[in-house]
Formats: sequence, C-alpha cells, structure tokens
Amino acid sequence: MSVAVAGVGESGPALDDPRSIPEIVLEAVEEALQEARLGFDSVDAVVTASVDLLDGLTASNIAVTEVVGAVLKPETRIAADGLVAAIHGSCLVRAGAYETVLVVAHGKASLGPYWELTSWALDPIFLQPLGLDFLACAGLQARALAEDDAAAEQRWARIAAERRRAAAAHGVAPACTAEDVLASPAVASPLRRESCAPLADGATAIVLRAAGPAEPGVHLGGVGFDLSPHALGERELTEWDGLRRAWARALAVHGTRPTLDVAEPSCVFAYEEDLFRHALELDPGTEVSPGGGLFAGFVPVAAGLSRLAAVVRALRGPGGLRAGVAHGTWGPAGQGQAVAILEAA
Amino acid sequence: MRRVAVVGTGQTRHAKAREDVSQPELVREAARAALEDAGIGPAEIDAVVLSNMELFEGRALPELWAGEGAFAAGKPCLKVATGGTSGTSACIAGFHLAASGLFDVVLVAGFEKHSEGHTQTGMALTDPFWDRAVASGAVGNFALSISQLQAERGITEEQAALVAVKARRNAARNPHAHLQMAELTVDEVLDSRMLAHPVRMLDMCPQSDGACAIVVASDEPARRLCPRPAWVRAAVTRHEQPYLGDVDRRLLTMRTLRDAARAAYDAAGIREPLRELDVAEIYEPVTYAELAWYEALGLCEEGEAGRLIEDGVTAMDGELPVNPSGGVLSTNPVGASGVIRVAEAALQIHGRGGERQVEGASTALATGYGVYAWSDVVVLQAEAA
Repeated sequence: MSVAVAGVGESGPALDDPRSIPEIVLEAVEEALQEARLGFDSVDAVVTASVDLLDGLTASNIAVTEVVGAVLKPETRIAADGLVAAIHGSCLVRAGAYETVLVVAHGKASLGPYWELTSWALDPIFLQPLGLDFLACAGLQARALAEDDAAAEQRWARIAAERRRAAAAHGVAPACTAEDVLASPAVASPLRRESCAPLADGATAIVLRAAGPAEPGVHLGGVGFDLSPHALGERELTEWDGLRRAWARALAVHGTRPTLDVAEPSCVFAYEEDLFRHALELDPGTEVSPGGGLFAGFVPVAAGLSRLAAVVRALRGPGGLRAGVAHGTWGPAGQGQAVAILEAA
Repeated sequence: MRRVAVVGTGQTRHAKAREDVSQPELVREAARAALEDAGIGPAEIDAVVLSNMELFEGRALPELWAGEGAFAAGKPCLKVATGGTSGTSACIAGFHLAASGLFDVVLVAGFEKHSEGHTQTGMALTDPFWDRAVASGAVGNFALSISQLQAERGITEEQAALVAVKARRNAARNPHAHLQMAELTVDEVLDSRMLAHPVRMLDMCPQSDGACAIVVASDEPARRLCPRPAWVRAAVTRHEQPYLGDVDRRLLTMRTLRDAARAAYDAAGIREPLRELDVAEIYEPVTYAELAWYEALGLCEEGEAGRLIEDGVTAMDGELPVNPSGGVLSTNPVGASGVIRVAEAALQIHGRGGERQVEGASTALATGYGVYAWSDVVVLQAEAA
C-alpha cells in the first residue's frame, strides 16, 4: 500500500496578513480539498501542527478545530515542524487506521517577535540565561562553519541572492544581489539580515490518501525524522547529523535510493544549504529550491509542509520530473529534522 | 489497524512540587521505569512520543530540552499537545506509529511540572475573540456546566462528594499518587472551601508535578517482551469546538465522549460496557465529571449516575472499579495524566497493579478529556484481536 498526496493548498506566505489564524488556515484547507475533489465528510482524520507560544494560545489547535473540519473527528495535534505532521499522517494511513488524512500547519510570525520568543524553547538552566535564541544559535553554527572556510560568507551571499531572485515574483521580499547581502547589517555574526529568509504568515494543507503503488499521482514514499541532543556543545555543529539519520531512515523505508530531480530544503539561512547538501550527499544534478525556497517567506511551523507542497507542484508540472525530497527542521541549529521522498507514479 | 500492545509502564512519584528534579530528570524517572518494566534498554526504542502543555510552565517546545529524558536524542521524536487529552492522544499517536510498520517499539512519555509555572494563566489563553475575556480557567468553566448537570440530572453535592472519597481512598493504595487520603469522608468534602459554586476544593483535581511513560510494541516484539501484553483493541479521538455558551457540550451531552465510546466499543466488540469492562481509568478533572462520564460512557442510563456511585458499583469491590489509581482527582500532571490513564489500564491487564490490582482484569478502558470537551477512548485487552 502506498500513500498518495491527493491535494495541496496554501495561504501565503504573506507579510503581516491582517486575517485571523482560522481565516488563513481555511483558505489553505479549502484549496487542498478542492484539488483532491473531496469534501470535509470524506476526511477520516486530521493532523495539525502549531506551537502554543507563537500563537499565544494554550493548545493552539483550538484556533483551527472548526476550519480543519475536526469537529467530532480524530485530530492529532503535533507541536513541531509541519513536515513531521505529514509524516505522522502517512503513518496513520500506513497503519491502516484511516484512508484519507488532512494535514495542516500554520504560522503567523507577525503576531510577535518570533526570534525573541524562540529563546523560551531553550534549556532554561544552561542556555536561555545566556540570552540566546534560535537566531543566535544559527549564528554560532554559521560561525563554526566559517572558521575553516574563508569563502563561506561570499558563497552564502550568492546563495541568498539567487534564492531571493527566484522568489521575488511570489515572495514577501524583493530581489537583491550578493553585494546587497554582504552590505546588510549583521544580525548574528556572520549571519546578515539579507542572508536570512524573511519571516511571514501563512498556512499549508495537504490531503493524504491510501493508494495503490501504481496509481497515478504523487506518492509520499520514504520518510524519516530525528531529534538531536539539545545542547549545542553536545553536537558537531558543522554538520546536520540529525538530518543524516533522518535521511538514512527515509531511504530504508523507501527501499531504494531514488534519483532526485528536485530538493526543497527548509533553509532559513543560506548556510544551511551547505549542511543540507552534505547530509543528503545530494547529487549536483538535483535542482535545489527552484522557487527560492523559504526565501519567498519563512512561515514558522508550516515551513516543512510548504516544502512538501512545493515538491508536489514540481512533480506535477510539465517538466516530467520523477522524484524529489522535502525537508523540515525545528529547534536551535537544526535540532529537529524531518525529510520525505516524493515520487510521481 | 495492525496489532499493537502496551508492554511496559512507569511513572514518577507525583507531588505538588518535585523540586528535586528538572523537567528532563522528571521525564527520565518515568522513562527508565517503563523501560525496566518492559525489560528493554534505550537502544531498543525506535521512536519517542512526548506529551506536555508547555504554556503551563511558560515554555515553548519543551521536548527540545526534555526529550533527552525520554532517551529521544538521535531518535525520531514528536510531541502531542492537546490539553488534558495530550497524554491519551500521545499514546494513540504511539499506537499508530507502532502500527505503521515504520517502528517496532515506541516510548510514549508525558510530563508536567505545574509548580514551575501558573496553570490557570495558561488555561485562560483561549480564543481571543470570544472566550479569553472571561479568563475563567478550569474551575469557573466547570462550575457553569456542573450547575446545568445538577439541574438536568438531579446530581447532588453528596453524590459528587462520594466520587471524591472513592478517588482519594483508592489513591491511598497507589504509591505514586499525589493526594492520598485513606480516611477522607463525605462531610470533609462538603466542608471544604467553595471555589466557584457548586465546586469545592475537594471536588477539584490537584496540580501535580509528575511524569508517566509507556512502552508500545507491534505484534511480534510485544509477544516477545511481555508475558501478558495489553493489546490495543480501540483508540478513538473526537474533537469539538464549543464556545463558552455551549455549556451543555462540556458535561451534560458530551457528544465527543459518547461518540468516541460508541466507536471504541464497536471496534472492541463490547455491547454492555458495565458488564464487559473489568476496570476503567477515566479522566475526571472534577468529581461531577466522573458522574457525567458514567452516562456518556454508557455505564448507566440518563439520570442514573448518582445511583451508581451511591451503590458502590464503581468502587474497588464493585461491578466495575473506576479509577483504582485514584484518578485525576488524586494526581494531575496534565501532560502526563492521559498517559497515566493508559498506563494504569495496561498494568491492570499486565497484573502488576499491586494493592490496586483488580483481580483477573482482562478488558480495561482508558479515557482522556481535554480543552474544548475533546475526548479520547482507549480499550485494552489481554486477548489480541
């Protein structure tokens, strides 16, 4: 039995969306169901992803219960990147528990000071008192990488500029050059303002269905996720070990190593592309973030699920692409990692 | 769904404040106990599911920090957070992961350390347009629904007090329980401080620090690891969105629990729950809720719940012992409470209940209750399907 992605829907990314969370989410859900040609009645179970502190709500899925159609239905609410919700959704189908599962993730960065809020996710005894947050942790990771690599900052500036150019038409920030990136102020040295994906509001929804392995459409194949130790000092900061483990699990589930036509990593910072390529031992022929990836707008929590949607759209497109990989990450310096292989059947 | 079973359980000593441990250490205490009970080491865990309500401690994504307590470092790990149902929903997520074929052995760990935060502030962070201005937290919300339950079903304060007495006396036989009151009487409950009419102090659950973990395994490893696995026969979740005005949906009609129970009994082939269930561990955050759940779970007809408690039908020596552990009324670390329900139901089937063992229990019910009248119902059995 296989798991097919029957529909994807997205709202955003948008800067400072004036709508409420349920309004943003409903737009994505309706689009996904419409694509799948399904009504709410056909959905057997829902998996949602959200983070309480970012929404300012206890059990923040209370904001979306109605608009994801979870009233009197099973809903699993996961507090992590949305790609983990999709992976859990695929497990519900694989387990034979449900046939049709709606997966929804939302984030509204404009509600509060995102990076400052992330300090509350750090060990309150040893890390938070140092004044760190996820941005500062990323800065430390980038610094560790740049130490032995004099060309790193130039390379990351070129990557950021390339992504910003690709995203300019549909993203929340205009195109810029590598020189612009290097001239922008440092936010957590060596990270500069323009080498970070711009924060945004949005939601992504996908519909997963049990399917025969040869059924036409895009199938969610091998999946894997991982949580590394929390303390930065307990990790090799110049690598994403966790992604390497998650990828090994995904390949084991998949059975074979597919030729990847496209990769959609959740890179909020240009340097993370180096870590991503290295962890997956990505073939140089694989196209990375053709639409600019998260540089079109980084929607916290929904980011990984939006990458999955991007791969699905690429595989459905006219290019005849066969396989792609979607990636999500959460926590400080890539502590949590998730990865999923998608294939066109 | 493919076969899965609970093969090990472990929990901490629950207390008002566990100042001797940090959150990861608290989780480790329960996780280690569960692994010991299952006779496995950390290397045999394929995935970890955590459960916690982070705003009660004023944290975000606490699994990033506390996950290592559950041996999650370097493993697939996700967190479920749905208020009171967090724990039961995390267990159900663990069942699904183990049934997916991707993982053989899954550790589920729930924890809460209420003493490090302010629970009722966290609880008041509800819908900002309709509900937040009321800022009632748990007690005020229940008071409204309970007044309605009293009016519609004739439930008396004395009947509710009997639930409080049963819970705290049962808890006296559970070495893990927070509130152990072997001598508690109905009069003492009725004399306890009024919080919000008609809810008195001893009608409410406490806020506890504690953690609980279970080991879930798919078919083959379950048989290898446990002489008497607690097989998952049903695992049903129903969510809901009642606003403050929909008081009836929170206790009186409680359509999520009714519907979840019906679906779970169908899946497990149960027709007469009172007769066929051997033990139940239900999530009763307040005495009156237990009586409302008797009806919703089909243990009695409408309006008969008061009689059930008066006649001792749900006492330790009754037809269906309900909450031999002392229940949520005796121990409530929210993120762990649902895991405790499933763990207590499972250990009854394992026959490892010690002084709170129901002799020969082979069919057990566990429920969860969260946030907006969300319900989880789990049926465990000694017989695989």
